Amino acid sequence: MNELEEDPVFLNSRREAIVIAGLWFAALLWTVPYCYICGYQPLDDPEQLRTVMGIPSWVFWGVAAPWGACGLVTIALCMFCIRDDDLGEAPEDAESELSAQSAGDLT
Amino acid sequence: MNAAAPAEMTSGSNAALVTFIIYTLAVFGIAAMANRLLRGRSFMSEYFLGSRGLGMWAFALTFAATSASGGSFTGFPAKIYTHGWILALWIGSYMVVPICTMGLIGKRINQVGRISGAITVPDVLRDRFNSPGLGLLSTVLIVFFLVFNLVAQFKAGSVILATLLEGVSVFQSATTWLGDIMPAWSILADAQGNPIDAAYLLCLIAFGVMVVVYTTYGGFHAVVWTDVMQGIVMVLGVAIMLPLALSQVGGLERATRELARLKPPQAVQVTLSETARAASADGVIKAGTVLTWQDPSSDTTRLVRFPRDTAATEENGTAWPALEYTEAIEVEKFSTDADAALSAGVTGIEVTQTFSYVTGPGPNPSDVSGFLPLGVAISFFFMWAISGSGQPQYMVRLMAFNNSRTLRRAIITVTLYYSAIYFPLVLIFCCARVLMPGMQDQADRIMPAMAVMLTSNIGAGWLGGLLVAAPFAAVMSTVDSFLLVISSAIVRDVYQRNINPDASEQTIKRLSYLTTLLVGIIALVGAINPPQFLQDIIVYVGGGLAACFLFPVVAALYWKRANTVGCLAGMLGGFAAHFAMHLIGMQVYGSFVNAYRLFGMDPVVIGLFVSMLAVVFITPLGPAPPQELVHKYFYRSKAT
Repeated sequence: MNELEEDPVFLNSRREAIVIAGLWFAALLWTVPYCYICGYQPLDDPEQLRTVMGIPSWVFWGVAAPWGACGLVTIALCMFCIRDDDLGEAPEDAESELSAQSAGDLT
Repeated sequence: MNAAAPAEMTSGSNAALVTFIIYTLAVFGIAAMANRLLRGRSFMSEYFLGSRGLGMWAFALTFAATSASGGSFTGFPAKIYTHGWILALWIGSYMVVPICTMGLIGKRINQVGRISGAITVPDVLRDRFNSPGLGLLSTVLIVFFLVFNLVAQFKAGSVILATLLEGVSVFQSATTWLGDIMPAWSILADAQGNPIDAAYLLCLIAFGVMVVVYTTYGGFHAVVWTDVMQGIVMVLGVAIMLPLALSQVGGLERATRELARLKPPQAVQVTLSETARAASADGVIKAGTVLTWQDPSSDTTRLVRFPRDTAATEENGTAWPALEYTEAIEVEKFSTDADAALSAGVTGIEVTQTFSYVTGPGPNPSDVSGFLPLGVAISFFFMWAISGSGQPQYMVRLMAFNNSRTLRRAIITVTLYYSAIYFPLVLIFCCARVLMPGMQDQADRIMPAMAVMLTSNIGAGWLGGLLVAAPFAAVMSTVDSFLLVISSAIVRDVYQRNINPDASEQTIKRLSYLTTLLVGIIALVGAINPPQFLQDIIVYVGGGLAACFLFPVVAALYWKRANTVGCLAGMLGGFAAHFAMHLIGMQVYGSFVNAYRLFGMDPVVIGLFVSMLAVVFITPLGPAPPQELVHKYFYRSKAT
C-alpha cells in the first residue's frame, strides 16, 4: 500500500486562508471604528467640516487610507506568501489526452 | 445646476445609439467565436466551465465584471445620490474583497474540482461528500436565489437601455405604437392595473433577447470574453466620468462643501393630540402619511413624513418618530399629500437627530435611524468581503482558472481594478448630487442621466454612448453568468447526475441550450412587473447565498471531519435564519426588503453565524466521513 502524506495544496491553501482572514479583520478594525468615532458626529456648522483633498477627513483616513494600505498588503501577499502549487489535472483533460494519444497510435 | 438634462440626453442619443449597436455586434461576434470552441472538446466542461483553462486576464476580468453587477452602476450610484459620503464606508470592504473572494477558497476549490471532475458548485459538494441529496439541495437553493437576482438585473438593463434610447425617433415611434396596443393585454399591467411603461417593456425585450441569445449560443467562453470587453468598458467609463464630474462641479472640495450645506430629511418626533391619534387607523399611521404644522415659534410651516407604518406604543405615547423635510423641492412635492385631519392634531415637532450628506450614519428617507448605523456598517464588512466568498457564481469562476500563478496575478489585477472603480464612483455621484439636484424620485436613473449630461456639457454626446454602455456592460456581464450557473445547475446536477447519467453528449448539448434559453425567458417575463428596489433585492440574494454556501463549502474544503449532515444543517440553518429576518421585517415594517436587524446586524451576519454554528456543532453528531473520501481530497501518495 502506498504511504500517504497530507496534500501540500491543502496545507498551503489553509495557511493562506488564515492569513487572508487576518487581513480582513485588520481592515475591519481600522475602518469601522475610525469612521464611527470620527465621522458619526452631528455637524452643527457645515463650515466646520474638515476635508483632505476635498474628501471628508473621516472618509480619507477611515476608508481611502486603509484601502491603499490593503492594496499594498494584497500585492505583497500575492508576490511573497501565496505559493504556486500544482493543482492537478481534471479527469476530462486526462480523457482528452488519452483519446488524442489513441488517435496518435492509430495513425 | 442642470435640470435640463432630458433635452441634452436627446441630443446625445443618436450617437449613443450608434455606440450601442457597435457594442451589440461585438458581443454577438464574440459569441460566434466562442461557439466554435465548443467543437472538439468535452461539451459540458467547455460550455459551463471553459475547460478550466482561463488565463490571467480572462479570469481576472470575468471575475471582476461578474461581481460589478447592475447594482454597481445603477443601485450603488442611486444610493450615493440619496445618502451621500457614507457610501464610502458602506462599500469600504471592497479594499479586501479581491483577496478574500479569490484567495480564501480559490486555490483549494480549483484543486478539489480537478480531483473530482466537478463542473458546478453542487457538483463539488455532492462529490466531496458522495451525497446526491446535498447536491440537489444546493441546486435548489442556487436556482431559487439567482432567479430572484436575474429578474432584478433584467430590470436594471432595461432601465439603462431606455435612458440610452430616450431621444431616438425610431425608438419613440415604436414606444408609441406599443403603448397604443398594450392596454388590450391585461398581463402587461402593474398591481394597480396601470399599463407597464412601453419604453421599459420594449427595452426589456431587446436587452433580454440579446443577452439570452449570446449566452445560450456561446456558453462559458462567450460569457468570459464579453466580460473582458465589458470590464474594460466599465473602467473606461469611470475613468472618463471622474475628471468630467470633478471639473464641472468645480472641484471635489466645492462638491463636498455644497453637500454639507444641503439639508436632508431629519429625524423628528411629532406630538399628536388625542383627537388626532384617534383619527389614525387602528392606532397606526400608515407609511407615506404627510403632516404639516404651523410652528408658532418660528412662524414657518414644517412638514413631516412617516417612512414606515408607525404604531402607537407605550414608548412613543403621543410622540411619533418621523422625518422632517426642509428642502424646498421636497416640501413642494409632499405638501400636496398632507393629511388635513391628522395635521390639525399636531401639537409639536422636535428634532431628535440631524443627518448630513457628509457624515454618518447618513440620511435615509425610509428609516428614522439613518442609512448606516454602526451594526449595519459592520454587517457590510461581512457582506461584501466574506459573503462574496460564499457566492456560487464566483466559486464557479474559481474552478475555471488554469494554475495558481494565474490566481496570484489575477488577485492583484482585480485589486487594482476595484480600486479604480468603486471609490471613484463615490466621488462621481457625490458630485452628481450637486450637479443634478431633484432626482431623488428617479435615483435609479442617475448614472445614465449623469453620463449623458456630463458629455453633452462638453459637446461630446457620442461619448455618452460609451459611458452608458458601462452600466449596461455591468448588467450584461452579471446576467450572462447567472444564466449559465442556473442552467448548469439544472442540466448537470439535476438531469445528468440524477435523472439520466448515461445521456449522450448530443442530448446534453440540446438540453443545455434549451435550459439556458428557458431560464432567460422566465426571468424576462418576471421582470415585466419588476421589483422596485434593485439594490435591496441584490443585497437579499447576495446575503442569502452566502448564508447557505459559505461555511458548508469552507468545511468541505478545509475540514477533514466535515460530513453530509453538518453541511446540510449549515445550508438550511443559514437559509432559514436569513429568510426569517426578512419575514420578521415584513411583519414589523411591512416590507420584505426592510429586514429585521437582530442586535442591529444585517441578516447576512445572522445567517452566516447560524450557518457556522450549525456546521461546527452538528457535524460531530453525524458519522465520520469514509476514509477513502478523506484520502482522496486531503492526502496524496508520498513521493519516494
